[in-house]
Amino acid sequence: MGEPLLILDGVSKLYGDVPAVRGIDLRIDAGEFVAIMGPSGCGKTTTLRMLAGLETPSDGEIRLRGRRMNEVKPWDRDTPMVWQSLALFPFMSVLKNVEFGLKMRGLGAAERERRAMGWLERLHIAAYRDRQVSQLSGGERQRVALARALVTEPEILLLDEPMSALDAHLVVHMQSELKQLQEQLGITFCYVTHNQSEAFAMADRVVIMSQGRVQQIGSPREVYRTPATRFVAEFVGANNILPGRVRALSDGLVEVETAFGCLRAKAPADDTPEVGRDVSLVVSADRVVLGREAAAEGNSLPGTLIGEEFVGAVVTLYLDIGRETELRVQTQQHNLDDLDLARGTRLVASWRPEHSVILPEG
Amino acid sequence: MPVWQILFFVAAMAFLVVMSFWSVKSFRLTPDFTFANWIKMYGAGYFQDTYLRTVLYASLAAAVSSAIAFPCAFGLAFRVSPNVRRLIVFMLMTPYFTSYLVRSYSWKIVLTENGVLNTLFGWIGLGPFDMTSNLFATMVGYLTLILPIVILLQYFSLVNVDRNLIEAAHNLRCGRLRTVFVIIVPAAKIGIILAATFAFILSFGDFVSPSFLGGSKPPTLSILMVDSVKSGSQWPRAAVVALTMVFTLLVVAFAALTLAYGSGKRGR
Amino acid sequence: MILDRTITLALRFYVALVLLLVFAPILTSFVYSFDANRYAAIPWGGFSTKWYAAAFADPDVAKGFRNTVIVALSSSTIATVIGFATAYTDYRYRFFGKNLYLALALLPPTIPVIILGLAMLVFLAQVGLSGELYTVVFCHVVYCIPFAMALIRLRLSQMDPDLEAAAWNLGAGQWRTLREVILPFTFPAILSALFLTMAVSFDEYAIAWFVSGFNETLPVRILVLLQREVSPKVNAIGSIVFMISMTLVMLAQIALMVRKPRRQAG
Repeated sequence: MGEPLLILDGVSKLYGDVPAVRGIDLRIDAGEFVAIMGPSGCGKTTTLRMLAGLETPSDGEIRLRGRRMNEVKPWDRDTPMVWQSLALFPFMSVLKNVEFGLKMRGLGAAERERRAMGWLERLHIAAYRDRQVSQLSGGERQRVALARALVTEPEILLLDEPMSALDAHLVVHMQSELKQLQEQLGITFCYVTHNQSEAFAMADRVVIMSQGRVQQIGSPREVYRTPATRFVAEFVGANNILPGRVRALSDGLVEVETAFGCLRAKAPADDTPEVGRDVSLVVSADRVVLGREAAAEGNSLPGTLIGEEFVGAVVTLYLDIGRETELRVQTQQHNLDDLDLARGTRLVASWRPEHSVILPEG
Repeated sequence: MPVWQILFFVAAMAFLVVMSFWSVKSFRLTPDFTFANWIKMYGAGYFQDTYLRTVLYASLAAAVSSAIAFPCAFGLAFRVSPNVRRLIVFMLMTPYFTSYLVRSYSWKIVLTENGVLNTLFGWIGLGPFDMTSNLFATMVGYLTLILPIVILLQYFSLVNVDRNLIEAAHNLRCGRLRTVFVIIVPAAKIGIILAATFAFILSFGDFVSPSFLGGSKPPTLSILMVDSVKSGSQWPRAAVVALTMVFTLLVVAFAALTLAYGSGKRGR
Repeated sequence: MILDRTITLALRFYVALVLLLVFAPILTSFVYSFDANRYAAIPWGGFSTKWYAAAFADPDVAKGFRNTVIVALSSSTIATVIGFATAYTDYRYRFFGKNLYLALALLPPTIPVIILGLAMLVFLAQVGLSGELYTVVFCHVVYCIPFAMALIRLRLSQMDPDLEAAAWNLGAGQWRTLREVILPFTFPAILSALFLTMAVSFDEYAIAWFVSGFNETLPVRILVLLQREVSPKVNAIGSIVFMISMTLVMLAQIALMVRKPRRQAG
């Protein structure tokens, strides 16, 4: 595949003495959809702004197609962005907004209009070409912002929480459209969000950040199934995290002594923990199966049902497993039909060892 | 910008300080370093009287304008539809920028001995009243200058009082009038104090009302200052008066800001 | 609630009364400028435009008017340009001594105009600049900058902070961004500042009185007339001045309103 399109090499950003981003390494290939995700203040937006040249890295290097970008001014780059606020020019018509980037590149009026109209048509907003931005709905503005950024046909598009202003019912629709557009264009999308369903729905790879550091990079599936750090395990999905100590290793499985008995989990591929070390065992809520009795093999924990939440067909159950610990279990409504559940019902939660992972922290 | 302001504003003000230590010898301004002007002015009984009078006048103007303005600002904020409100705010902004000079002259027509108001009074068998060249006329002039801006400043703070606060007070059985004094006035305190401060500052420095409507007798500081320049070419003494005025205003402004913001923070 | 209605009506009546009080002098002046009688009284002495004729015939008034227009046009233009630069600097940059910078920009109107006038007179006389028309312009600019700065700064603070960066991001350099984004966005405020500072300068009498020397402006002329005599000519001149400055202030307010409905729709 050769050199990636974009490389971040140990990039840091300090504001005064306060670090916003601390030594990020990241490679993004051409045509990839990458989502950078994390809670607010994790440094994701600062990272994106550095890619746009709006912030200068304090340390490290950013290379686009092998060219060092650190000192390149924002207006000398070709890294258009879709802003959280959309930042459409309120005193210009839709068409003028979209033409802006072309005008700055010195294209003639006729050519500008031709190209801008092409994008307006592609995004189904050609009818609004002469409207003022304030006369448009949220979804329409979104499209204008997208057209304005894409009109210069860049190699990479930066998106900073572009859907946060949209109504919930529009978001899902826009996601699939955005993903389709990205695939058709073959442009690299670098998408910043704090919303994991958005990131998981569209991205080829997600980068999870916390406190200025990268916690994990991987496909949505990898991140979801095998969180690499405690932070990721807590941030992504609905995971149960049980502290314990490594007792033995066998057959690619780790035996962990916890306060709830001995549990087994899949050993991490790269770094098998030594016996006696404090670790955490993580099992996703949707991997846990409930029953009246313990399963023949695998991990099982007895507990008492203390609460349930219904969200559509999915039920989340809370099981008191002692020592002031709750176990979360997610399952389909119909799986529970035989169980005759009520608050206080004694149940056994079980899951297969290979469905749980070990984190190196206690 | 800084260059311009430093050149024509800061330098001018600084030079005023320097000038107050100069002396006038045989009608010519001479660079000097003497406290004579300060001693002469501060020692003079008429200066002390005038100073006190000016402070009193300005305080009175601030109090009267605040009292007249409050029901108006209150009505505007709570009892008038938004469209009318916008129009009135628009209307009140205009006089602040339009010839104060002519407006106070017009009052003279209205108030003078055979003027409009006395004629009206005459029809109902009253008067004529002496309404020019006295404190009343001066106050009318001050109000012409400050009333619109006092109303506006009070209005802006009243409009921003959280309506829920008022409803909560009513909900807790606080009566209408009581709510005004217990809830609304404290909540709008900053604006009310600022409005009164503005009124004080503007009246304190005003020259037109006390001289044309008030008849210059007894004088205020501004009249004293203008006379020193225009008729006596006593620039250094005028500088002393001017600096005394600036200093007074600084103290008043600072005190008002402390009152408005300082105790407000503690209260929260 | 009858009591409530009564309170509302009473307060509305009071508002109307105060408005009448505020506008009474303006109306009076206007009414008596057309009065044939020399001394304003009731009843009215009949309609006449002779005071206007007298005002127009007065060469001092004509000269004052010309001077005022020159001063108002130049000082409002300079003040608006400087005011814009100041507002933009404040919006865009953080730097040491910024509070001092802002104080410098905003302080002048808080000092009584006659003191400003005196200070400027003594200083400018000392450096040999006093008594010319441009002296008045210099001083009016000082007094007008804060108004222009405040209006434009307010407009800038309503701007989406990403807007400027969005323009850079699309390839506009800093100057280009200023021209294509910042100026169009602040244009209503710039226009408004221009009108407002024009009105301020047009009406300013105290500073001009001190520094203008023999180049009297119209308000100074009025001041002189007021000191000398009670002449209905003043009503006529005053009414014209009212009309002009009122128009300017209204234009200033209208300029700001034009774009608002569009913004609020969003």
